[in-house]
Amino acid sequence: MTATQSAERALKRGGILMAVGLFLVAGVYVRALLFTPEEATQGLAQKIFYIHAPSAWVALYLAYGVVGIFSVLYLFLKDPRLDLLASSSAEVGTVFTTVVLITGPIWGKTIWGAWWTWDARLTATLFLYFVYLAYLVLRSAVDEPGRRARYSAVLGILGALLVPFIHMTVYLFRTLHPMPVVLQPGRPRVPGPMLVTILYAFFAFTVFYFGLLARRYAWARLKAERAQREADGGDASR
Amino acid sequence: MASLLAETRAIAAKDLLLEFRSRTAFLSALVFTALVLAIFNFARDPTAVSATDLAPSVLWITFSFAGVLGLNRAFSLEKENRAIDGLLLSPASRTALYLGKTVANLVFVGAVEAIALPLFALFFNVPLLDVLGPLVLVIALATVGFVAVGTLMSSMAVNTKFGEMLLLVLVLPFLITPVSTAAEMTAKLFAHRPFAEWAPWLKLLGAYDITFVVLCTLVFEFTLEE
Amino acid sequence: MPPANGGFMVAAYVAAAVIYLAYTAWLYWRSRDR
Repeated sequence: MTATQSAERALKRGGILMAVGLFLVAGVYVRALLFTPEEATQGLAQKIFYIHAPSAWVALYLAYGVVGIFSVLYLFLKDPRLDLLASSSAEVGTVFTTVVLITGPIWGKTIWGAWWTWDARLTATLFLYFVYLAYLVLRSAVDEPGRRARYSAVLGILGALLVPFIHMTVYLFRTLHPMPVVLQPGRPRVPGPMLVTILYAFFAFTVFYFGLLARRYAWARLKAERAQREADGGDASR
Repeated sequence: MASLLAETRAIAAKDLLLEFRSRTAFLSALVFTALVLAIFNFARDPTAVSATDLAPSVLWITFSFAGVLGLNRAFSLEKENRAIDGLLLSPASRTALYLGKTVANLVFVGAVEAIALPLFALFFNVPLLDVLGPLVLVIALATVGFVAVGTLMSSMAVNTKFGEMLLLVLVLPFLITPVSTAAEMTAKLFAHRPFAEWAPWLKLLGAYDITFVVLCTLVFEFTLEE
Repeated sequence: MPPANGGFMVAAYVAAAVIYLAYTAWLYWRSRDR
């Protein structure tokens, strides 16, 4: 099987996983909206939690973790597929981060009365968003694949190490800096059916992420294959 | 080790020498500083907002921009002279190359800060002298953290289509920790708070500096062409 | 009596759905073109 055929198979499989993930996320919507009780003091808006928290887990830890790890691996092993995987995760991670940064303030408005209060986690997410965007802009600024991969890996690693510092910076501000006294939604105590919903939601969004990642990565590999064929002057056998 | 220091000094000296021949970048940084100070002073209502409340933020906005201007200048120098090719042919090691450039950038940004600080004290009427020591330490640490990452990003941005604009985008996320911790410590110093109150910030900034200077030194070679 | 903030919930759920669906659709169709 040629590399192209293998990549095309991967594309199909990615499409399937993506569809499965999407279906599972639709299930989260159904379960959260129709089969999960309303929270006593916070009202319906508390249900935003079932979308927001799993998206944040994917965006901040899963997706960016993949970017960081595969950036390091690329610098050591120089396999271009490692770079394609890292950059695919960055693109997908950016989508999830966008959702976090939109659902967060909407939920915050109902809890804190303000769209933005420099809350620790949301602020950290915002700055990670800047790193994600910088990563994507950097990739679009370099045409040569080898250099693009190297530069992306450098930024990926620096960004990964930045995340704990951002967390600590924001933590210091929260604990040592006088701030308006606000209700912290944080981790609500989750009784019975709510716990099931949130656990299922984490599972569903994780599968969805892997589906998107698989499809995106397969597509990246296909594009790289095609570029390679054109560079070699066309390949008659497929 | 001795050769590393010697190479670093040589590269830093070369960079700085080029700068002294074209003082425009230095001048623009200073003009910008004066402009920021003037704007903040005229824009605020002195009965509503005291100078001391605004002072730390204004200082660090000024220093941040001076820093970015400094990095852009280093970047343009490389581009104009295609100096990087000459440097790579030299026997200097990659590490010395990175450290030399970082030192040169530090000197440049430091010089701007050294002039901006008294200007700032003048315009804002903030008594600096009794906290000058710790303040200089804070400024130095934040500048190191910022310039170390900026020099690395600069060496990548110079080889891309977007150039200087990309440099800003790349560096911005990494400014948060040094600048916000420095601004916080500056505020505490101006208010004559005890050391224990700003010590945690100092530790965080120190940890940041060590982590990123080491990291940037290690990955710098990956930003160079084979 | 919990506050009446169902509108916010709808807004957030819809916004998230739009973003995820849009990206999924874009990814699916663009990757089919090869």
